[in-house]
Amino acid sequence: MSSVAAPAQAPAANPLREGLEQERVPDASCLVIFGASGDLTGRKLLPALYSLAHDGLLPAGQTIIGFARPDYSDDAFRMAMREACDKYARTRPVDDAIWQNFAKGLFYVQGDFSQPDGYSRLNQKLQECDRTRGTGGRRIYYLAVPPQFFPVISELLGAEKMVTDPERGGPFTRVIIEKPFGHDLESAKELNRVAVSTFRERQVFRIDHYLGKETVQNLLVLRFANGIFEPFWNRQYIDHVQFTVAESIGVEKRGSYFEGAGITRDIVQNHLLQLVSLTAMEPPVAFEADPVRDEKVKVLRALREFPKGREGENVARGQYTDGSVLGEKAVAYRKEANVSPESKVETFAAMKVFVDNWRWADVPFYIRAGKRLPKRVTDISIHFRPAPYPMWRKLRGVDTRPNVLAIRIQPDEGISLKFDSKVPGPSVRTAPVTMEFRYATSFGAEPPEAYERLLLETMLGDSTLFARRDEVETAWAWLDPLLNAWAADPRPPDFYPAGTWGPESADLLIERDGRKWRRP
Amino acid sequence: MSLQPLEADVRVDVTAIEKHLAELWRSSKEVGDEVLTRAALWNVVAHTCTSESHAQADEALGKASEAVPQRTIIVRANRAAPPEMSAWISANCHLVGGGKQVCSEEISIVAGGDRVHRVPPIVNALLIPDMPVAMWWLGDLPNEHEDYVLSLLEPADRLIVDSAHFDSPDDLMLIDRVASKTTTTPADLNWERLEEWRRATAMMFDPPHMRSRLESIRRVRVVAATSDRDYFGESVEALLYASWLSAQVGHHVDTEGKVEGSVGSIDYVIERRMQQNGVGGITFAEISFEDASCASISRDRDRGVLLANVDGNLSMPESVTRAVPCGIDALIVRQLKRTKGDQVLLKVLPVAARLAKRVAR
Repeated sequence: MSSVAAPAQAPAANPLREGLEQERVPDASCLVIFGASGDLTGRKLLPALYSLAHDGLLPAGQTIIGFARPDYSDDAFRMAMREACDKYARTRPVDDAIWQNFAKGLFYVQGDFSQPDGYSRLNQKLQECDRTRGTGGRRIYYLAVPPQFFPVISELLGAEKMVTDPERGGPFTRVIIEKPFGHDLESAKELNRVAVSTFRERQVFRIDHYLGKETVQNLLVLRFANGIFEPFWNRQYIDHVQFTVAESIGVEKRGSYFEGAGITRDIVQNHLLQLVSLTAMEPPVAFEADPVRDEKVKVLRALREFPKGREGENVARGQYTDGSVLGEKAVAYRKEANVSPESKVETFAAMKVFVDNWRWADVPFYIRAGKRLPKRVTDISIHFRPAPYPMWRKLRGVDTRPNVLAIRIQPDEGISLKFDSKVPGPSVRTAPVTMEFRYATSFGAEPPEAYERLLLETMLGDSTLFARRDEVETAWAWLDPLLNAWAADPRPPDFYPAGTWGPESADLLIERDGRKWRRP
Repeated sequence: MSLQPLEADVRVDVTAIEKHLAELWRSSKEVGDEVLTRAALWNVVAHTCTSESHAQADEALGKASEAVPQRTIIVRANRAAPPEMSAWISANCHLVGGGKQVCSEEISIVAGGDRVHRVPPIVNALLIPDMPVAMWWLGDLPNEHEDYVLSLLEPADRLIVDSAHFDSPDDLMLIDRVASKTTTTPADLNWERLEEWRRATAMMFDPPHMRSRLESIRRVRVVAATSDRDYFGESVEALLYASWLSAQVGHHVDTEGKVEGSVGSIDYVIERRMQQNGVGGITFAEISFEDASCASISRDRDRGVLLANVDGNLSMPESVTRAVPCGIDALIVRQLKRTKGDQVLLKVLPVAARLAKRVAR
């Protein structure tokens, strides 16, 4: 084997990188994509990798090996991936010169995930790349496969001795896992147990693509790089917080997956709870993987448990029926392909959540996620308490409203602050006005895709933007009682017509507190 | 004020430019243009002397404002011209999707004869507060001792020049003095042109085994494409590249331009090669090591890329860096996207002034 052992001491930083946009670049490695014939590889992974190459962010010699059951040649795989990049890459049109060089590092190995012979061929290919492309035994395994294949892949990688670790004197091996990270607490623990039987926790990168989004990262910058927000970011000044993750599409081809998941497992357990924890967390001591994740997990631990026997009290669940979205007819969830006509699976969930700690005591966090809602939008809004004394109350035309800081995660990423202003004229009248920051307006260029950022971070070995084992398990531990209660409930979810903002029960959930959902 | 398209130039009273700008935006609201956003991240002042350079600044900053919204102030000041003081305002607008438009303001000020001295206070009054100021100087470099120049540079965070137009090493020294004696940080568009060359070079030395070879550099040869005229500016890009390498690797350049490194004296060669295309740019760079191996980067102009490879005792895959020639507007955008002044350039400028003696004629 030609693997080059990592030097005992990390070499000095490259002085020629100083002042360049990317001051740190990864060492060349072999990135193996398990499930390379799947949708994710063509739609997201290869276009993201190509865009990184286009922007000069991949090291010379970076190698990508597709591994899947269909029998492709290297050239056929390259051709398919070129088509995918032509269609989906952020940096289009594809630059021929960049592509040609990128494609020289693109290979395919045919194999069955559960058969050792494929792994032997893969290992041979990897060693060949170490010799010809300077990848030095460094490996990243991307498991773009359904979770049931994770144990067997891990086991066979271990059995074939394809996992090394600098702490044991070898080059790095990292593994990227796609969500869902389990179906409930028990299965998540099992997945994690399997992972750490082959890899160490710091070798495992659990990808939640929301964390790769610029606006999600900007949430931390907004809170902790600006002096003006943090003093107000607590129960003294904040009345409540709303989170919306709305999709206008239905379940599309994912009917059978969704029947086993529902929106709570698909969105709330991961994306939404990530947003909640980033919004509510305390300042970390450093912007590094463990300090950031330590603070996030503290928020998850502080989530108030659902009251036993009354789990459904502060929640609303819904399922879409026939309707229309953006002027187009949409069929009911129960009529979608691979969905039971009597399905009880929720396509919408809204919850009133409390973070029981010093900062957030009794501040409600209203969260909602749904499919077939009027538009695709992800949004966080911080609703501040009203001014303490209504000094204008005797004047007509003065109707003061609480300030709202809205953080738009997607689309049209940006931040706005709503406040009241005097309407010009001789009398005192007020009207709400908005101060807006939009990424597109201020920074022009389209931000990199979340997968670009996350793949690069994995190559660099920085797991700040990835979920840690205890985050995943704590989130499941909190949600499990609710999911169990729903599973035991014979009643179907409340129905809502496709193209509306969910069932009436979701409105009642917030309106009985004298508040309203903000229209995102 | 009558309603006009925002982009149209409107001649205004020099003493009331801000008032006219407010009216411009109000008029856009009156015509129901609710999808228009006014934005600015920078104050950019372009200082020109001729109508040609004024037009060049107008075109470049109009394009640049799409990527970096800015309040643009273009000054054309010519003491030799008849006395004159006039101003125009307009808006640079572009679509950002969803039918929405982002606009930023452009103000043109033309001053001639003895009215020129009124320019600095007018410009200073027009700067948006709490927003950084970039001064782009087109044409001959300013005399840093002149009151007029000092007043203009006083609020500037950055002074943007283009060393491709420098006619002697003294100009490099002048910019270096601005850096050391004022709070204005110099920025060079020619330095921005080097970005891809720096990236391609850095990429070659990213692998740990290559990084250690930086200490064994014995010779650096950089080839500049030049025309048939003997003009210093045409080799400045190559000079900056060599100076950057020397500064970053830790080579010592003495006042005569001789270079010493940990392995002894190092030969820096900057060659001028007459070419039809890409005059002023680098066409080839070669770094030779103690063991006689060498790393090289060449420009493939047809494919718009830089090709880097390492020969001799080492082998690694060729790397390709995209390097499409940038227009002035793109270089300005690169510059404005830097939130801080470029500290590496500040290190490189004095080295370049000394190494300039090595520019082969």
